[in-house]
Amino acid sequence: MRIVIIGSGIAGITFAEKMHTLNQDAEITVLTKETDGYYSRPILSHGFSKQDIEQSIIMKTFAQLEQNGIHIISGTEVTAIDRKQRTLTISGGDNVVATLNYDQLILAQGSAAFIPPPFLAYRNQFYVFNSLTDLKLLRKFRQAYTEHNKSPDWAIIGGGLIGCELASDLNAAGDQVTIFHAMDRLMERQLVAEDSQSLLKHFQSCAVNILLDQAVQGFERQGDKVSVQIKDTAENYQYDAVIVSCGFKPRTELAEDTGLETSRGIKVNNFLQTNDENIYALGDVAQLPNEKIYAFIMPIRSQALWLAAYLNGDITEPWTPPIFNPKAKVHGFTAEHPYLF
Amino acid sequence: MSNFNRYQCSVCDHIYDEALGDPDSGIEPGTLWEDIPEYWVCPECGAEKSAFVLMS
Repeated sequence: MRIVIIGSGIAGITFAEKMHTLNQDAEITVLTKETDGYYSRPILSHGFSKQDIEQSIIMKTFAQLEQNGIHIISGTEVTAIDRKQRTLTISGGDNVVATLNYDQLILAQGSAAFIPPPFLAYRNQFYVFNSLTDLKLLRKFRQAYTEHNKSPDWAIIGGGLIGCELASDLNAAGDQVTIFHAMDRLMERQLVAEDSQSLLKHFQSCAVNILLDQAVQGFERQGDKVSVQIKDTAENYQYDAVIVSCGFKPRTELAEDTGLETSRGIKVNNFLQTNDENIYALGDVAQLPNEKIYAFIMPIRSQALWLAAYLNGDITEPWTPPIFNPKAKVHGFTAEHPYLF
Repeated sequence: MSNFNRYQCSVCDHIYDEALGDPDSGIEPGTLWEDIPEYWVCPECGAEKSAFVLMS
């Protein structure tokens, strides 16, 4: 049996490792555009307060995974899926252009940073924070300041979960941070109003500047600085750098191109199966029949472990989400109430 | 005076502090790392005990 996985994040690798443990004879190949190794994205949120993050974030190198019986083709992109022939076209990496057969295909490409369409025109004037590559760029930018005993003054656009984690970690690392949030309270998708209020107070107590109800229109480079433009105000807010953190977008393009059903994510049934019986989806790309995308690490690991056991014939029951309590990595803050999901 | 150690999850950065234990999973405060059963998993992400690293 030949199983091909697209994506080397928590979803793809947890599945691959479990599958290999359950069935040593299964031929398991992971296709990934990453080249740094297998790392855990949640750890990115501590990417500024930790010194050795570029190395310590790597849980396993691709060479280690190879030794564990999982074939990795890194630095590669899947450009097409032929569902009738069950073949993939891949390009980049060691293979310039090649095709690969599969019996079962697992889509686990994760998600990209969502950029609100009005900001696309200013794409070269802000950073995003979604991958180790993004983190490395930000750390490099920051290093140019810290080498001269200075620290940058940041604007973060978006006061959701990632924006708040990022603000907290930059603040912990000693930087000045301002959050511009479109809504009237922080993390309104995860926190009840009372907890949003205590998060606001927490940020104020550690000198993170929070601006709520802000309609950000765009950005403008002014010398070394970037200004954040707000609707109906003449105020000129200037920062050393801007990070747009407005949520995530599941990578569904390849699935769409091949005619799989998609909505916000790739549509799967409760067996994580797409409308092609040989193709499954996991993690940030998978949208369940209840419309939910379980973009938290606990349920994603659960999906991966479940799918391996299911495909190995060990279980026949559908996947059900585990009880999980997500928690934002905001230094020194704990919500009183459970997170909303 | 504390001789308790702290262990950090390499998957999600959750910290297990021996002094605090993990009462929600039935691990009493003061439980040493080696006394935690092997079936215990990270309360935040579900990673196995082996994914934890001793903090310096």
